[in-house]
Amino acid sequence: MRTTATAPLTEIQLDRAFGALADPTRRAILARLSEGDAGVLDVARPFPMSQPAITKHLRVLEDAGLISRHRRARHRMCHLEPQRLKQLSDWVGSYREFWETSFERLDELLEELQVPGSLSPGAPAPASSRQQEPRHRQGSNRQPGKTGEGEGT
Amino acid sequence: MTTTNTETEITLPADEPVIEVRRFLNAPPELVWQVCTECEYLRRWFGPRRLEVSECAVDLRVGGTWRIVHRAPDGSEFVFYGEFFELDAPHRRVGTFVWEGAPEHQAVETLVLEAVEGGTMMTTTTRHDSLESRDMHVANGMEEGIIDSMERIAELVALV
Repeated sequence: MRTTATAPLTEIQLDRAFGALADPTRRAILARLSEGDAGVLDVARPFPMSQPAITKHLRVLEDAGLISRHRRARHRMCHLEPQRLKQLSDWVGSYREFWETSFERLDELLEELQVPGSLSPGAPAPASSRQQEPRHRQGSNRQPGKTGEGEGT
Repeated sequence: MTTTNTETEITLPADEPVIEVRRFLNAPPELVWQVCTECEYLRRWFGPRRLEVSECAVDLRVGGTWRIVHRAPDGSEFVFYGEFFELDAPHRRVGTFVWEGAPEHQAVETLVLEAVEGGTMMTTTTRHDSLESRDMHVANGMEEGIIDSMERIAELVALV
């Protein structure tokens, strides 16, 4: 299943990542880390909240795969993991692509089905569409149908 | 004839774990219903062209189940299935939508077909059951919204 470098995220990973991004403090932390790695104290400085509260936010981001933490000397440093953001962005894009390509195909199918006599043999007749005049084509971006009929006007 | 907008509108409401997809289709609801519920037709449009619908089974009745398998050119398969809760042909279909890769997540999908001038407005609303997320983020969960997150992702991706 996982064939590409950006493997599809599981639902749980998506939920975690979107949940993590749904908070303004956590987004601000990510924006801060996009400038470079930072220690917890540096990360916490701009926010009017306790360090444990910030630590909790960091844990949520880490669980979501959006950041990683490592030790440098005596400090715990936070590091942005851009790959997860990329995966989320790809996910949104692929969702749109899925529907847009499906709808293009659906348009073609519906058009074909509404040309009289073009239903596949044995297919149940869509009663209502049979009774109606063939639909108008939209615009000129379509291939002509299998027959010359159904052009409306 | 009015020029109708066939843009796919994808909405992510700010306050619910919901994804809504809206699209105008140039056919009456009865025909759209048929192509959305019968395998013969689903095979021909559901999903990207590069993915073949290699299996399709739809038992269209309340309590009935459906199952669709998409196969990629490399042979990998994506299996989706669900159960119908509510059927009101040709206007409304409600049921579960599950990806086999994460069966613990049962999204509820509502398909609504409205007759509009010149065709049908099709709306699918997918409500995600994000228990995992809820447990994990007792304090803030998803309620602040994913649309906002989407915008932020775009900003953040641009940053990194």
